[in-house]
Amino acid sequence: MEQQAEIIQVKDLRKSYGDFKAVDGVSFSVSAGEVFGILGPNGAGKTTTVEILEGMRKPDGGTVMVNGIDVQKDPRAVKKVIGIQLQSSAFFDRLSLAEILDVMASLYYREVDALELLREVELADRAGALFKELSGGQKQRFSVASTLVNDPILLFLDEPTTGLDPQARRHMWALVQRFKSEGRTVLLTTHYMEEAEELCDRVAIMDHGKIVAMDRPTALVDSLLSKGFKKERVEKLANLEDVFLDLTGRALRDGQAPQDT
Amino acid sequence: MLNRLFKTNPTLSLTKASMRIWFRDRQAIFWTFFLPLVLISVFGLLDFGAFRTVDLGIIDRADNDASRKLIGEVGALGAFDISDTLSEAEEREALLDGDRNLLLIVQPGFGEADSPAQRRVTVIYNEGEPQESAAGQTIIQHVLDEMTFAEGNIQERYRIEAEPVDSRNLKFIDFLMPGVVAMSIMQMGLFSVAFSFVQLKSRGVLRRLQATPILPASFIFAQVFTRLSVSILQTLVLVGLAVLAFDVHLEGNLGVMLLLALLGGGVFVSMGFAVSGWARTEDVAAPVANAIALPMMFLSGVFFPRDAMPGPLRAVADFLPLSYLADALRNVAVDGASLWSQWGNVLGLTAWLALTFLIAVRLFRWE
Repeated sequence: MEQQAEIIQVKDLRKSYGDFKAVDGVSFSVSAGEVFGILGPNGAGKTTTVEILEGMRKPDGGTVMVNGIDVQKDPRAVKKVIGIQLQSSAFFDRLSLAEILDVMASLYYREVDALELLREVELADRAGALFKELSGGQKQRFSVASTLVNDPILLFLDEPTTGLDPQARRHMWALVQRFKSEGRTVLLTTHYMEEAEELCDRVAIMDHGKIVAMDRPTALVDSLLSKGFKKERVEKLANLEDVFLDLTGRALRDGQAPQDT
Repeated sequence: MLNRLFKTNPTLSLTKASMRIWFRDRQAIFWTFFLPLVLISVFGLLDFGAFRTVDLGIIDRADNDASRKLIGEVGALGAFDISDTLSEAEEREALLDGDRNLLLIVQPGFGEADSPAQRRVTVIYNEGEPQESAAGQTIIQHVLDEMTFAEGNIQERYRIEAEPVDSRNLKFIDFLMPGVVAMSIMQMGLFSVAFSFVQLKSRGVLRRLQATPILPASFIFAQVFTRLSVSILQTLVLVGLAVLAFDVHLEGNLGVMLLLALLGGGVFVSMGFAVSGWARTEDVAAPVANAIALPMMFLSGVFFPRDAMPGPLRAVADFLPLSYLADALRNVAVDGASLWSQWGNVLGLTAWLALTFLIAVRLFRWE
């Protein structure tokens, strides 16, 4: 993990909407191969930050370099090597999942094995289905598959597990871990702390448009404990989610449900 | 090779996808093809021409007692719609234009002894309307026979020398068909672009596409190409049905009609983009598109000639893009006009294309 090329370099990023400072002087860098998490409550500026990094939004100030390219100067060059999962994705009506992936790939002048990509997110049996026919978890997985069409070196996942049931969430975690093992860099946002603990090599915690802490999750916990912090209730070795998964199993449950959450 | 190109070139692949999406949309198919087909079929089957009386023109070259008697008796029958007598040249032209069924010419010397034309009249009839022509001839022959009997001289009958001409017989559907083609091109261009684009925008599909290195021009090309292809197809299908099933006379060049369909399609597609650039949701796009399309449908002479409109209204209606398109298509289809002769309408459409394109560029937003 040490001394790797920095694939993302962010310096003093600023973005305001009227008087509201959504991003207020954010700086950080992400190493190649790292899973980096941006945490924070709703409205903390996570999504705005990520969208500027992706070249989807223009900052008021500051610079972002992705893979050595200035995002503001050449957003298209950046978009060619990254994969972006938006918080809520939508795709063409009246095209099957496989057809959508073919079109998405063509936008990168590429040809993909759509079925293989769908197999990776366990949607191979829905290749002929329409996006609107999918359940919430399936939609999220397809959305992830759609970001893989250009074999990106860097993946942006904006709240990839929000609204998913525990089984679907675990499945998404496994996907992220696989991306890491394939050597891809992942930048994700979440407001589930246990998700960050499970997946992220490093996290930045944002609040009111600023980064208030940034380190490895265990280091952040240790520094809190060193300040003499004690939980009111001592944590047991299992929690309710473990009970839930023990009772309902870990297999994905999206075959029948047309819509969850 | 070609297949691979369609898979890996963004513009071609988006075009293929946009065609697929369009032709899988049953509602779009219904409005674009089915409804205009129904319109043409209904008016084709009604065939207003069937109720017409027999229009007769008369030229009296003899101008003697006998000819005046004959013409008086033909007129007294009330079986004919006898038009004001024009010059012979004008009468012949009216017959060719389909405004007359028959032209009765009484030759000099009619009824005069020793004249070669003593017992003959000439009837020029419209071959394309056999029923009216035959009925008319029978009636005239009946009058002639009565004259024969009245003279008590049954050695030789008064006879008709019939002479067919092939004239253009304009039925209502001939007039209507080009109008319906123009109207359906407008509906398709305006509504299909405005709706689908606003939908892509409001559902976030465009945003997802923006997360890729897509070039806006590729996307717009795919959308426009699809719509223009459909407008060509519409023209072919509607003209084809009218000609094959309802015997519509296509005087002009189909290729010229297709060129006009492309130009008109361009105007209404960029109008659609202007609406979709401005409207954020389908709920806004629908009434706006309707507010543009409905008045044009009734003011642009699609279903009836604009001649019937009051002056001030007509002055406005003449400048509508649908008027230019309907007029040009009609002149080509009905009168066999050349593309060059339609330069006025083409100029009008081009001006509208420039205007709507500018507005579309101005109003256009991805988000």
